[in-house]
Amino acid sequence: MEHIGLTLYVLIWPVIVAAVLVVLSTAFIRDWRVSRRDGEDII
Amino acid sequence: MNSETVTFGVGTIILLLVLFYGATFWVSTRIGKRDENADGYMTAGHNIGFGISAASMTATWIWASSMYASATSGYTYGISGPIHYGLWGALMILFIYPFGKRIRAVAPKAHTLAQVMHVRHGRSSQLMLAGSNVVGSVISLMSNYIAGGALISLLSPFNFIQGVFMVAGGVLLYTLWSGFRASVLTDFGQVVMMLGVVAVVVPVIFFAAGFPGAFNSGAGNLTEQQSSFFSSEAFLNQGAPYIAAVLAYAIGNQTIAQRLFAVREDLIKKTFITATVGYGAMVIGVGMLGVMALYLGLEPVDGDMNNLIPQMAVSYLPAILVAALFVMIIGALSSTADSDLSALSAIVMTDIYGQNVAGRTKADPRTMLLIGRGTMVVASAIAIAAASLQLNILDLLVFVGALWGALVFPVIASFYWNKVTNTAFTVAVLAALAVFLPVRFEWIPMAGATGFVVDVIAIVGVGVVLGLMAFGFFGLRVGQIVAVVAALAAAPFALGELHEYATLSGSLVAYAVSTVVCWAISVRSDEEYDFDRIAREIGDFDPEHQLARSADPDPDPVH
Repeated sequence: MEHIGLTLYVLIWPVIVAAVLVVLSTAFIRDWRVSRRDGEDII
Repeated sequence: MNSETVTFGVGTIILLLVLFYGATFWVSTRIGKRDENADGYMTAGHNIGFGISAASMTATWIWASSMYASATSGYTYGISGPIHYGLWGALMILFIYPFGKRIRAVAPKAHTLAQVMHVRHGRSSQLMLAGSNVVGSVISLMSNYIAGGALISLLSPFNFIQGVFMVAGGVLLYTLWSGFRASVLTDFGQVVMMLGVVAVVVPVIFFAAGFPGAFNSGAGNLTEQQSSFFSSEAFLNQGAPYIAAVLAYAIGNQTIAQRLFAVREDLIKKTFITATVGYGAMVIGVGMLGVMALYLGLEPVDGDMNNLIPQMAVSYLPAILVAALFVMIIGALSSTADSDLSALSAIVMTDIYGQNVAGRTKADPRTMLLIGRGTMVVASAIAIAAASLQLNILDLLVFVGALWGALVFPVIASFYWNKVTNTAFTVAVLAALAVFLPVRFEWIPMAGATGFVVDVIAIVGVGVVLGLMAFGFFGLRVGQIVAVVAALAAAPFALGELHEYATLSGSLVAYAVSTVVCWAISVRSDEEYDFDRIAREIGDFDPEHQLARSADPDPDPVH
């Protein structure tokens, strides 16, 4: 039981990291599409 | 790892660095302009979207030391160690956002915090903040170059100096022309790579090293404190000094302020919260490599904790993932280094040339750009020289951290309380430093009454830190209540004890003294500052922006 808790404790961080990666990538693609549509630099 | 253990050959290292810096340079050329705009060079037009700004904030806050120190904390303090490193570091981003929203509302077109202090108070306040920003950024730059040189020398036949030059040259290559715009855009690619590598590498090492079974076989390698999620050792030695530093590092770091002034105003909260989660998860995740090393009984070669991550990588990862991890660390230190270069150039362009040499109305944008680029070259040279000397940067970091701690209350109060004066700001910071130095460096014996007095002042500092944090989110009344309750709650444990922890008590007295002195002088002043003056007096430097705004039906005031 303790091992399950420790395993979750160690592996939860890469899962959160992956979720943040998805959020950032999605937002970037949205920004990029908007800037292309408007004919402007993304930054 | 030692000098006899070479993981990559010359060709492989050069290939990896050329691929990384080549790709980053190529990305920066996509937004490069023949005639860069001076304001764009510093703040990218105050209009960056969520994806890039959150990625940039995350990438900037993660430097090479974040990963090494988190793994070291995991190895030293056990399973709670990475939390006591990564969580508080992440909260530095979170706790600054409510203040950030206020700062941005008061000074929508600012380039640096020090620039706002110049308008709010005058030259001495501005130069104190700008000076501490410059020293902090140069130290950070040097530290990242040292980490890069050490990593390259560890994993290849190249020596330390050669490694430092490679990293510094690569960072300068892609940051020099477009400045902050290049920094934030390349941050996105760098953070995607960092997050992607951590998401893969940690689980791969976990299973390759025999976990979860190793939790059982290696349990004997941990002390009782290391096995506990609630380790007092981890809290007192790692967590508590970090909590004290949360606001100081966020206020004192121009790289954060620069992103605050660059992101679209309505995206500040979303950006800072996402960066908090991203930074925390990534750094704590890397710290788990240290926890795993502890369970496995791994001894860092030469006793150097910085070898933990490379050792774990070389021991349990295939070559392709070792290469990915190498590039990730290079990405982490490069993203922070390019932010430091951008921050330094913005400070010199705005606070030295724009505000004090040419004057706000006479600053020439072309000259500003030249100065910004020159600053990057000079800063790189200074950082390389200092890195080559392999100076002990710990004392410098502690000193700058305390200076930032002394600035926190005066800076924050200056954005909310119209009675704070330049005298109050300046005297408060100097008084705080005068008390901090003997406490931190133990110049006077702390036995007896002196220790007691230091404990009492430090307890006030506890109240100030927690009160300010609560104030940011919940307002003045809650902040005051939290401050009093926190100080009273800490008193029974802290009296007679706190002065034993010089780093912690030094930071706390800096907070306490600056707050009490700033309040005592301000409360009696007749000043009734009009905060609208800041927005009226701070505008863009570049005529391109000024012309664009003159066509705007609701233009922001221009200096």
